[in-house]
Amino acid sequence: MKNAYLNFAQMITGIMVAVLLFIHIAVQKLGVILSFLGFKISDPLAFNSMMERARQGLWAGIYICLLAFGLFHALNGLRNILLETGLSPAKMRTLTWLIIIFGLIFFALGTYVPLVLLTT
Amino acid sequence: MSGDAVKNIIFRVQRYNPEKDERPHFEEFTVPVKHGTTVLEGLLYIKENLDSSLAFRTSCRMGICGSCGMLVNNNPHLACHTQVEEFHSNKLTLKPLPNLPIIKDLVPDLTTLFEKHRSVKPYIIRPDEEEMEKPAAEFTQKQKELDEFLQFTYCIKCGLCIAACPTSASDKKFLGPQALGQAFRYCADSRDAGQDQRLAIVDAEHGLWNCHFAAACSEACPKGVDPAFAIQLLRRRVVGSAIGAAKAHTPAGVVAPQTETRAKVPVPEFTVKPK
Repeated sequence: MKNAYLNFAQMITGIMVAVLLFIHIAVQKLGVILSFLGFKISDPLAFNSMMERARQGLWAGIYICLLAFGLFHALNGLRNILLETGLSPAKMRTLTWLIIIFGLIFFALGTYVPLVLLTT
Repeated sequence: MSGDAVKNIIFRVQRYNPEKDERPHFEEFTVPVKHGTTVLEGLLYIKENLDSSLAFRTSCRMGICGSCGMLVNNNPHLACHTQVEEFHSNKLTLKPLPNLPIIKDLVPDLTTLFEKHRSVKPYIIRPDEEEMEKPAAEFTQKQKELDEFLQFTYCIKCGLCIAACPTSASDKKFLGPQALGQAFRYCADSRDAGQDQRLAIVDAEHGLWNCHFAAACSEACPKGVDPAFAIQLLRRRVVGSAIGAAKAHTPAGVVAPQTETRAKVPVPEFTVKPK
């Protein structure tokens, strides 16, 4: 049953990563896209533009979600690959916890800066 | 090759007798081959004319019994269903199916295949045991309901899918494409009510989550069954059941017994009547 939930979560996070990455890339290339259509905007990749977006709750939320979904998708995929190496259930449990701790550390590191920017 | 022209082909056969040999070795035999000669006919030629001690399994010679599965040039094939010409080579290498123990030469031990097959309860399970034991009538099934699982009923349990499966190669306890395909076949049967029992078996360690969809099983199947697809459909059922999105299913009922029988066609006068 646990694997069924994990598989379902893997599917959902995969879809969410695709959607959020599309938004991320579209915004990064927004200047190019709009100039193609004859509109001029300030460069979305410029430092000031990035800082402005980082201080908005919506954008910080999008990037934190992208990080969370991406980490889950990648680390659960890694766990699935390791599952096939034939490790004993006890070793697999240890490995699963190591992966969870690894993921949480990366999530904390990744969310620190956006949270600080939001609150200052 | 055309007509009755005969060409000599070398059959390089893996030999192994666990009682005598420490490890498998190869022996070469020259076999005269005509247009349409199958690999099995080549092996029968060796058995009858060159070395009667060669061991291989065969029965129906028409791709139905699933006895003669083996590796031909490192790909799983039914020997009776494979013509020598298909390989466009003067040399064929024959080995027993991998991922299964060897009894002798080209004869694999299929015990684990049948144990795994049996473990997924490959039969109709219904709550009405009385009807199952003493059937009063037939169960109803529409063509559309039959089509959902029909292709999976063609499995002949030859073991080629297990030989091709990379997960079966690395995990000997993995249920394998054959058993998982059959688990789906019975879960999808509209007459069955045993899905929960089977899902509990396949959604476990060494079960359907270990498949990583290489789909080599579907490529190898000589009957056109697609076990990789069955595993994906089975996963959908497991996830649906786990998140409570499974479709409610009531097993098909029985057809009401006929109350009127149609009049029999009258026997023509000139027919010899039974005494």
